[in-house]
Amino acid sequence: MDFTWDFSVILQNWPVLLRGVGVTAGLWAVAFPAAMLVGVLIALGARSGNRWVGAAARGYMELFRNIPILIQLVWFFYAFPIVTGVQLSPYVAALLALTLNASAYCSEIFRGGIASLPKGQWEGALAIGMQRTQVLRRVVLPQVLKRMLPAFTNRGIELAKNTSVASVIAVHELMYQGRALSAVSYRPLEMLTAVAVIYFVLIYPGAWAAGRLEKRLALRSN
Amino acid sequence: MNYAWDFSGVWAHRDMLLTGFVGTMKIAAVAIAVGVVFGIVLATLRLSGKRWLALPALWFIEFYRNTPPLVHFFWAFYALPVLIGVSLDPYVAAVIALSTQSGAFFAEVFRGGVVSVERGQWEGARAIGMKPHQALRRVVLPQAMARMVPPFIERSFELIKTTALASTLAYSDLLYQAMQVNSITFRPLEVYTVVAAIFFCTLLVLSIGARALEHRLGVHTRPQGA
Repeated sequence: MDFTWDFSVILQNWPVLLRGVGVTAGLWAVAFPAAMLVGVLIALGARSGNRWVGAAARGYMELFRNIPILIQLVWFFYAFPIVTGVQLSPYVAALLALTLNASAYCSEIFRGGIASLPKGQWEGALAIGMQRTQVLRRVVLPQVLKRMLPAFTNRGIELAKNTSVASVIAVHELMYQGRALSAVSYRPLEMLTAVAVIYFVLIYPGAWAAGRLEKRLALRSN
Repeated sequence: MNYAWDFSGVWAHRDMLLTGFVGTMKIAAVAIAVGVVFGIVLATLRLSGKRWLALPALWFIEFYRNTPPLVHFFWAFYALPVLIGVSLDPYVAAVIALSTQSGAFFAEVFRGGVVSVERGQWEGARAIGMKPHQALRRVVLPQAMARMVPPFIERSFELIKTTALASTLAYSDLLYQAMQVNSITFRPLEVYTVVAAIFFCTLLVLSIGARALEHRLGVHTRPQGA
């Protein structure tokens, strides 16, 4: 093996890679909060007394969790415009697919978290005259949010990794820039290794924090 | 919205989609098998008790768990051949990418299972005169196995979904074949909806099978938020 590594190509194209990191971060920063919001609504739907709403919410969760994210993305970019008559830009299609996909997982976290609280908490709060939305906001969520934190951190990590599939429909994020640069520079080894390292540097702190958090919460509950 | 659905084009090219489906299942099965081998090796290194073996294995696992799967595909296809001087076809590159990343996850599943068995079990087995490998095989592993099954199945499902990324290397999986059918029929809505439905139904059937298996083994307790 007499390959000579040449990382000058990374240094020369640093601004382009940095722009890619910016787009990746943008996708994540929009899709994650949006996914949590949709996730809460779906979780509440799944718990609702109405049979049809419950079935629809559970169907939504199953649908988005059992189809590969890349197929969802391709569907929203190529098939969705035919249904709606509106052509989405690659960026919007990617945001839509990433958000809806992550929201299905988020709703499962919310559902599990809310279900983990003893029924007595609900009954007590209702008994002193609170409405259901008040119980949820003032009694249930403050208690379970902390418990859900590690799961949400893991979800954020999965989402960060999933943003890379947006490159397939030509969103100019980190993976796309890395591939484009490795093609023009004829240095795929250095370029793709650098891209992998950049992703690791972006994502690993989150994973590390999630691990710490999980350990601390486990200690406290003992 | 008065779009007239027309599935005749998709139906006419059902043999192409079938080829893709077989391709997806094949690569998933091979990658799980190779991934298990990788996972066992990595878990053994992690549990070896020797720092110079455990630490590289830990960093390998952490690196693969915290980088996007798509990067592994492109790296295996475009970068690895430069390093080893042999060009790889899409199938081999995809298997390498899938099995290394799932190996990293499987390793943690295996290690977690072994670690979860209490110390007393080890000590007891050693006290009655078993050698370490005997204690592992006869006492620890049978107990650890049951705990490994649910997360192992979870990871295998993730792997099956990840195979769709192999289409980006032009490997003839279900998604790649669907793209070909689409370029013939110009019916993206029908083609991609059918492909999504095929994936959904396949995973549904597999998950029913997995649940039955877990039930029979008496291990149907999935960890929260996994």
